[in-house]
Amino acid sequence: MSAEIYEEEYSIDGKEFVAIGVASTKIKAALKMLGIPSDLIRRASVIAYEAEMNVVIHGGGGIMKLEIHPDFIEIIARDEGPGIPDISKAMEEGFSTATDKIREMGFGAGMGLPNIKRNSDNMEIKSEVGKGTEVHAVIGIKRE
Amino acid sequence: MKLHEIINTLEPDVICKGDGDRDITGVIVGDLLSFIIGEAQEGEIWVTIQIHLNVSAVAVLKELPMIILASGREPSKELAEKCLEENIAIIVVEESAYEVCAKLHRLLNDDAE
Repeated sequence: MSAEIYEEEYSIDGKEFVAIGVASTKIKAALKMLGIPSDLIRRASVIAYEAEMNVVIHGGGGIMKLEIHPDFIEIIARDEGPGIPDISKAMEEGFSTATDKIREMGFGAGMGLPNIKRNSDNMEIKSEVGKGTEVHAVIGIKRE
Repeated sequence: MKLHEIINTLEPDVICKGDGDRDITGVIVGDLLSFIIGEAQEGEIWVTIQIHLNVSAVAVLKELPMIILASGREPSKELAEKCLEENIAIIVVEESAYEVCAKLHRLLNDDAE
């Protein structure tokens, strides 16, 4: 396990889903400040935003953590929401448990987790019903 | 084609002019945020009927320089303010998403020839 060179935790308010994106905007700014290549920033930003949406919509709030290691970026999102009973179902494109009200706003398309997976080199979900969910997404940093 | 040329042609209600010199590379249309996050390419115009604050968050995230609200949908106050703050062009057109996309298709095609 390589040492972290940067680490920051961001709290996510679960009540305010009109203003989702506060934590992921901070993550994007931190990556820019640290001079991470722009294609990796784009991927990390998508992961962070989708994870933040999930934490707000399904988890009722939680935290997101950004870790930068010498050869990879890791984004961790954690909530203490209802948990995911069937993770493979949740990973299917188009599957969503969002309410109609949330869907009308354009959330809950059932593409959040697939978007996270598509933009990570490695993704893991740990979830326990009634306890909460934790998503880990890793992007490798290739050095010339 | 430059962003300001598109605004001039569409005769919309302009909420924010944005960066008029930006080159427009294409158009994406949709109201599902995760679809736009997954599919939009930098420099594209986004046509939608969503009017809440998260629209600007997605535009910033995907570096989309312009949002077109179709069917006369007025942006929420928060969305209008955020677009001004981020200098993202946002306009309202009376046409449906279909009609405005047809216009944009002609504009961008004529421009490419």
